[in-house]
Amino acid sequence: MYRGREGQWAFVLHRLSGVALALFLLLHVIDVSLVMFGPDGPFNAFLAFYHQWPFRIGLLLIIAGVIYHAFNGLRIIIMDFTGWGVRFQRVLWYGVLGATAVIGVPVLVKILPEIFGAA
Amino acid sequence: MATAPRTMSQARASYATNSELAWWVFMRISGLLLVFLVFGHLFFNNIQIDAATIDYAYVAERFSQPWVKIYDTFLLGFALLHGVNGLRYSVEDYVTKPGRRFWTKTILFAIVAIVFVLGTMTLWAFSYEEMGAAIRALPN
Repeated sequence: MYRGREGQWAFVLHRLSGVALALFLLLHVIDVSLVMFGPDGPFNAFLAFYHQWPFRIGLLLIIAGVIYHAFNGLRIIIMDFTGWGVRFQRVLWYGVLGATAVIGVPVLVKILPEIFGAA
Repeated sequence: MATAPRTMSQARASYATNSELAWWVFMRISGLLLVFLVFGHLFFNNIQIDAATIDYAYVAERFSQPWVKIYDTFLLGFALLHGVNGLRYSVEDYVTKPGRRFWTKTILFAIVAIVFVLGTMTLWAFSYEEMGAAIRALPN
């Protein structure tokens, strides 16, 4: 398992992001379920609490995790179902990082000004 | 499963049970679907709008649309199953004592089952139609 280099970091990041996303998913379903209490229930107060900037930075990290996990997941599918995927796994991983940046940077440019009120 | 099998034939050979093989296949199929479902979800709720403007009115308006309820039901089901199986892999890798591993997994499955029921109730057990119609009728 610990053969080092790119393959190991791909695995470590996939697992870390996966665990974080799964735990976030559980919390996210629970907080949205507060709409069941109706417009006068606790939902709006709860969201106002979550809209403070530290949580919004946390949400950006979750979004970054989604983008990496999605692209690295596609890399895993390619490795598993093509004859050539494993041979090019290292190149594919740099592709994953590149694709994560290509999608992630515009997301940052869109959302960071919203958080810090520059928009 | 610290080192997952890398090909279909390896997966067939290395899993002792059919259900473990089925989960291996499920992770790849659901993963592919989730790329589209989750990116769509993030686009609607974080890119098209400022996520910090989300409130009860916004969520009720969305849940008053049938396609959102169906979309979110698929998202909820696939994401929870993909997530719980991923967490199970991690528990099996890092929790080595049999007793502790059993209880960790039992508690995990119980939490996920409760969250699935909560999410399904949120989507289907309430009528947001009146709220949605009222919001759409508001002048901008």
